[in-house]
Formats: sequence, C-alpha cells, structure tokens
Amino acid sequence: MNEIIRIEHLHKSYGDVKAVSDISFCVREGELFAFLGVNGAGKSTTINIMCGQLSKDSGKVTLCGSDLDSDINSIKGKIGVVFQSSVLDPVLSVYDNLQSRAALYGIMGKAFKEKLSELSSLLQFEDLLKRPLSKLSGGQKRRIDIARALINDPQIIILDEPTTGLDPQTRKNLWGVLSDLRRSRNLTVFLTTHYMEEAADADHVVILRCGRIVAEGTPLELKNTYTGDYITLYGIDEATVKTLGKKYERLRDAYRISVENTAEATELILKYPSVFRDYEIIKGKMDDVFLNVTGSSREGENRI
Amino acid sequence: MKTLLILIKRNTKIFFKDRGMFFTSLITPAILLVLYTTFLKGVYKDTFISNLPEGITFAENIIDSLVASQLISSILAVSCVTVAFCSNFLMVMDKYNGTVKDLTIAPVRPSVLASGYYVANLISTLIICYVAYGISMGYVMLIGSYITLSDAICLFLDVTLLALFGASLSSVINFFLSTQGQISAVGTIISAGYGFLCGAYMPISSFGDGLQKVLLFSPGTYGTALVRTHSLNGVLTELEKSGVPSDVVTSFRDALDCNLYIFGESVSTSVMYLILGGTVSLLVIAYILLNVFKKSKA
Repeated sequence: MNEIIRIEHLHKSYGDVKAVSDISFCVREGELFAFLGVNGAGKSTTINIMCGQLSKDSGKVTLCGSDLDSDINSIKGKIGVVFQSSVLDPVLSVYDNLQSRAALYGIMGKAFKEKLSELSSLLQFEDLLKRPLSKLSGGQKRRIDIARALINDPQIIILDEPTTGLDPQTRKNLWGVLSDLRRSRNLTVFLTTHYMEEAADADHVVILRCGRIVAEGTPLELKNTYTGDYITLYGIDEATVKTLGKKYERLRDAYRISVENTAEATELILKYPSVFRDYEIIKGKMDDVFLNVTGSSREGENRI
Repeated sequence: MKTLLILIKRNTKIFFKDRGMFFTSLITPAILLVLYTTFLKGVYKDTFISNLPEGITFAENIIDSLVASQLISSILAVSCVTVAFCSNFLMVMDKYNGTVKDLTIAPVRPSVLASGYYVANLISTLIICYVAYGISMGYVMLIGSYITLSDAICLFLDVTLLALFGASLSSVINFFLSTQGQISAVGTIISAGYGFLCGAYMPISSFGDGLQKVLLFSPGTYGTALVRTHSLNGVLTELEKSGVPSDVVTSFRDALDCNLYIFGESVSTSVMYLILGGTVSLLVIAYILLNVFKKSKA
C-alpha cells in the first residue's frame, strides 16, 4: 500500500508551550489510522496543520503526494473532515447545508444533485433533505456531517472524535457506514477518539503525550508491548490459585491472574495442568495500553 | 462566481431564518416607533405649532405630515446601519462556532468568502430597508404626503447609500470580533447608541455645541441629513408656500438637521453625498486590505 499521509519532524509551539514536538509518522492508503492522546496532547493541532488551518513552525507534511507548503489547495480538495461537534448551519435545511458546502469545491447544479443523491442513499437521509439541521437527532446530524465530509470524494477522511455523545446503536451504525466506505472506496480514515474499542479496530495506532509520540504500532503490537495477558480460571478455590504464586483478582465466580505475556501463560498452564481445567486467556485491552502509555494507569486497582 | 452566489444565498438565508439575528436588527426601529407613538409625536407637534407665526392658515394635515416625515427619516436612517450590523454578526458567529473552519478547509479563495459575507449583508440590509422605505412612504401618504417624486427617488438613493455605509462599516468592525460577548457589546452599542449619534432619536441641533462639532465628523450624520432633507423637503416647501416666512422654514430645516454647518459653512447635499460615498469607498478598501493582510499573515 502507498503512503497517503507523511508527517516528518513536525513542530508547533504556542509561545513557550510546545503543542507538537518533533512528531513523525505515516499513514498508508486505505488504512484506519487511530491518532490517540489525552486532551491537550497535540492531536487537534496536528489535524489543524494537516488541514491548512494552522501554520507549522517546522517539519514537512505530505498528503496525497502533495506538499502542504506548496500545494495546499490540492490537498484541501482531497480531504474531508468530520469535526468533533457539528459545524453545519443549524437553521438551514440539510439540502441547503450540503449545497453551500459542495459549492466550495465547485460542485454545483447537476453534479451536486447527483452527488447528493448518491450520498443520501448511502447514508440513508433522503427523507431528511428538507428538514432544518437543528431539528435532527444526534445520530442524524452525524450522518449529515459525514455526508458533508464526503461531498468532494476525498481520499482521506479525518474524523475528530466522531462518535462522542452518541448512543451505542448510533455509534455502531456509523462505524458500519464508515467500514463500507473504506472497503468500497479505499478511503483512508484518520481517526481521533476517546473510545478505545474503536481504536482497537485500527490498522495502525499512534499515541501522543505532551506533543510527542510515545507509542505506535498495530493494536496487537501495542497490547503485547504495553499490557499483559489475563487468565481467567473457573471452578477452583482460592487456595489452589495461591499455589500459582501470581497476582490475582477475585471475580464473582472466577479468579483472574495477570501474566506478562502469552508465553508466560503457556508456561504456567504446562507447569500446573491440573489447575487449568476451565479457563480463558484474554489479551489486555486498548484501554490498558492507553492508560499505561499516557501515564494514567489504573493497573493494580482492586487487586487483592 | 457561482460559488460566490451560493455563499451569498447561504448567508442571506441564515440571517432571515435566524430569529435572534433578525429581530435584534429591528430593535432600534422598534424603539423609535414606541418613542414616537408614546410622546415624541405630541412633543414635536406642539413644538412646531408654537414656533409658527400667528395668523397663517395652512392645510390641517401639514403638521402631522411634518412629524410623520421626521419619524420615517429617523427610522430609515437608523435601520440602514443597525440592520447591517446585526446581519453581519453571521461573520462573527461563523468564527465563534467554528463554521468558518468548515468553510476554509475547502479550496475556496478567502476573497470569495469575504465577498460572500459583504454582499449577503448588503442584500439583507437592502431588503429590510427597502421594505421599511415602502411602508414609510405608504404611511406618509396615508397621513398626507408632500414628498415629490424627485425627493422620493433621492430618498431611495439615500437609503441605498446608507445601507452601503452600514454594510461597509459593520464589515470592518465585525472583522475584529470573534466571541459572543463582543457581538453582544457591539450590538448593544450600535442598537442603543447609533440612534443618538446620527441624530435619529433627537436632532443633532438639539445637542450642545461641543457634541455637535464631534458628531459632524461622523459620516453617518451626513447620511441622516440626506434622508431628513429628502423626507422633509416637500412638507417644508409646502409650509413656505402657505405663507410661513422663509426664515422660519429655514430655522425648521436647521432644527431638523436638514441643514448642517461645519465651521460656520453650510454643507450642500452634493458634498454630503461625496462624504458618504467617499467613506463607503474607504471602508470597502479597508475591508479588502484587512482580508489581504490576514491572508498573508496566515
């Protein structure tokens, strides 16, 4: 796969505050890329620089093969952004909103009507076209935001916490639509989110802390590096668990043992086969990765 | 060009659909209407009658027409500026709620966005002011109109020029605003203050000498004077024809701000047009420069 985003040694400061400090990463075409970090880590600054909304202090940004410094308009035509909260016009109808945004890309008249028909069918909002945006539910508004981001057939869609505040069903539906788009259009998705289960599905993850990259890799690599595995044992008593000599946690009808990795779990099972009659091995979650990497770990909480 | 037209449509639609912005723009004309109906009408009527020499007979409705013409000139002079400011708050709201980011992530030229705001603001202001003009003319005709066709055409031109002035001034001032607090502050100052500053609530001639001199450096004052001149010219001429001495009529013209004097010299209407037109040109140039400077800074 080709690289579609390349960031090299990016720096941005606000006075004495280094919002982004020497970050470099690349995103491949068609990937779901998760860009994580606590609030103020530098995610929005990086996104604003990528979109041409903010100037950088130094570094190189290349999107869709174009250099940000020399070809910003070409880049703007190839990206779509879904902002954290809807920035469309609440008093205008869905049709008017999309018409005004499409015009910014020179999509007008028949071309606009064809695009609108395609998007309204894809995102299922044909019946909402005449309604003012302010009268739509959170999920419906999000669909219109995605339609706005796709109005120019972008190669990259940047999603800035797109599902914040949405109910689980709506979140699931939105991710269904986005997954279909990725498959059907080879769309590259650049995602920031606070929901780690969404990041768990990413092809590649970068985690920022205080403007620097502190971890990156696939979710599996990150889990293997920054979290341990858990073995849940069923149908045994506490005295038997203690013989394993490992930290454990009492659950309602089981015991959970923490191990460093799958190899250690295998070793333990082979050493105490009689203890492991009914069990499961679970890898650490992206939540654990995030908390460990960003220094907000809760590991050890409620441990006995 | 088509992009600009669609942006103008978007901005104009938002103004008329956003009840907050739309009704705020009508506050000052509403205040004037309330002031007039509650006590100004009576005060002005009594003042005019008491200043007329005794023994002169004229049509009964002439004083009512004089007062009505004064009211409509005040409403028109104020509306052109206050409506323009309120309509242009959209530019600030777009910055405040982040919509401008959604517009500028597209490959659209900043000059197209800036022109979209300016032209939409002018169109919204003109629509409201032309409607106000139509209603005003209808009202004066109902009372008994002495406005000649040429004055009516000039008045239409005055309204257009004042709307251009309001749109240009608000574009320059609102360019620097970005928060809701700033919108509220400017909105309050404009709604409450402009009526006084341009002499719409009270004629400038009734202010002290010092304040009068200061206000004569405000281009809006000349806009109001033009509107006053063309609203009141017919009825004042009719008074003169009825036998009211010309010096009395001239004193009425002075008191009603139809005549303005700067350093003792009377300012002719052509000079008033030049001042207002020149100011509009300067403000438009300032707005363009601000946008160019902002672009190069970014």
